[in-house]
Amino acid sequence: MAAQDLPHASFIERYRNAVLGGLAVLLFFVAWQALFLIVPFNPLFITKPSLIATGYVDLLESGDLLHDLAVSAVPFFLGLFAAVIVGVPLGIVMGWRVRIGYALDPLMTVFYASPLVALAPLLVIFFGVGTAGKTIIVFSLAVFPFIFNVSSGVRAVDRLLVNVVRSLGGRERDIYLKILFPSVLPYIVAGARIAVGRALIGVLVGEFFAASEGIGHAISRFGDIFAIDRMFACILTVMVIAVVLTEGIRWAERAAFPWRVGR
Amino acid sequence: MVPYIHARNVNLTFRPPNRAPISALDGFDIDVEEGEFLSIVGPSGCGKSTFLNILLGLLKPDSGEVLMHGKKITGPGSDRAMVFQEFGLLPWRTVQNNIELGLELKRTSAAKRRTVAERLVSLVGLGGFENHYPHELSGGMKQRVGLARALATDPDVLLMDEPFAALDAQTRDLMQVELLRIWREARKTVLFVTHQIDEAIYLSDRVMVMSKRPGRAKKSFIVELTRPREYEMRVTPEFNDLKLEIWNTLKDEIVV
Repeated sequence: MAAQDLPHASFIERYRNAVLGGLAVLLFFVAWQALFLIVPFNPLFITKPSLIATGYVDLLESGDLLHDLAVSAVPFFLGLFAAVIVGVPLGIVMGWRVRIGYALDPLMTVFYASPLVALAPLLVIFFGVGTAGKTIIVFSLAVFPFIFNVSSGVRAVDRLLVNVVRSLGGRERDIYLKILFPSVLPYIVAGARIAVGRALIGVLVGEFFAASEGIGHAISRFGDIFAIDRMFACILTVMVIAVVLTEGIRWAERAAFPWRVGR
Repeated sequence: MVPYIHARNVNLTFRPPNRAPISALDGFDIDVEEGEFLSIVGPSGCGKSTFLNILLGLLKPDSGEVLMHGKKITGPGSDRAMVFQEFGLLPWRTVQNNIELGLELKRTSAAKRRTVAERLVSLVGLGGFENHYPHELSGGMKQRVGLARALATDPDVLLMDEPFAALDAQTRDLMQVELLRIWREARKTVLFVTHQIDEAIYLSDRVMVMSKRPGRAKKSFIVELTRPREYEMRVTPEFNDLKLEIWNTLKDEIVV
């Protein structure tokens, strides 16, 4: 009987994991809202979901939210794009040319491990408060996950495949294009998952310091004027964007590399 | 007459960092005739694969001469191709694109590559699987792709490094039959490294036994069985006599 039911499993059975996760999120907001019925919080410092929702509607209606998001999206994507363009080739070379790898590794590790956010004010001084400055901050945070993931991906490349290409008359260029690059594609995507989070931090930090628009600027401006509901609305938006991007990449990873399934 | 492949006094010592050097080949000699199917059997680590890699041009001997067509082997060339034990298929490429790899590296036109790949797909019996990825294939099918890829550049010599060792026993028997069929059609000189004496006798014109490391040529045995080889030949007295003779030569070299 159970076997017969299987293809016609109900909605809840089929999406059990998503349903459970969604329920937990819902419960969290309900509990938050309910807490205000019991505890008399000062609305100047903390807000509740119903007020956040109203703030959301205001922001959407005025178009401010979309405008700020559009402004922030530019340095976010430019910086990420530059990070891929620079990080992937650099990572491949560092992984394949062992000596170059050894030479650059300490320097890169210093930059990767240290809180580059500390440099943000300096970068703003150098490159201004506009898109350029923010793009540079995003780039400097997002490039290292690509470098390190890709170079460790190259070190894990199947040597047999390199020998196959060599034995068939392939040159160094062919090894890069036909073996190393395809081999590290999954590592690039894994790097992107980390880089996206760091890039979001980069945008927000850049806009906290000095900016006249953008989602980071909105968060800090609403904070300054104690408009906690709208501030939360912006924060939640950033959170949702972060989750959607990271999960989207995870999904793309599974869809794009079918041969990894067989391992 | 100058032999097709001629190796004299080949020496190669591996020098891994921070460890004792390993002498893989020491005074190794071999001559192979054109069109010959030669098997090399020997204990594990005796340098069989090392020699194939020297012939392939991926390794250079410390001393000695390795000639093909009377010319010194200095690196990989399209007159030789290897079939690897672990297949070495590019997992992100379809069967067809894996077979075309060698031609692609030789900058052959796409149309020509396609024609060659189509012919080889049917030669190795993979019709209908052109667009499959390696992870969708069984071990035997993967090695068919490996064989087709090696044949694609039309080499004179096929080097096979324990090509069926990763397959189960039945698949292995079938692949041996298939290999003989393909060899009859493609007419290549084959150097076939294996651990299995049965396999070596069944396939070869000649079986060479190597000594334990550092590897030298110990003794060669001519296989008198007629061609085409039938599977039933494997249970004939001639077959078993030769198997015993080869085993007696080999067993002294095996260190447990």
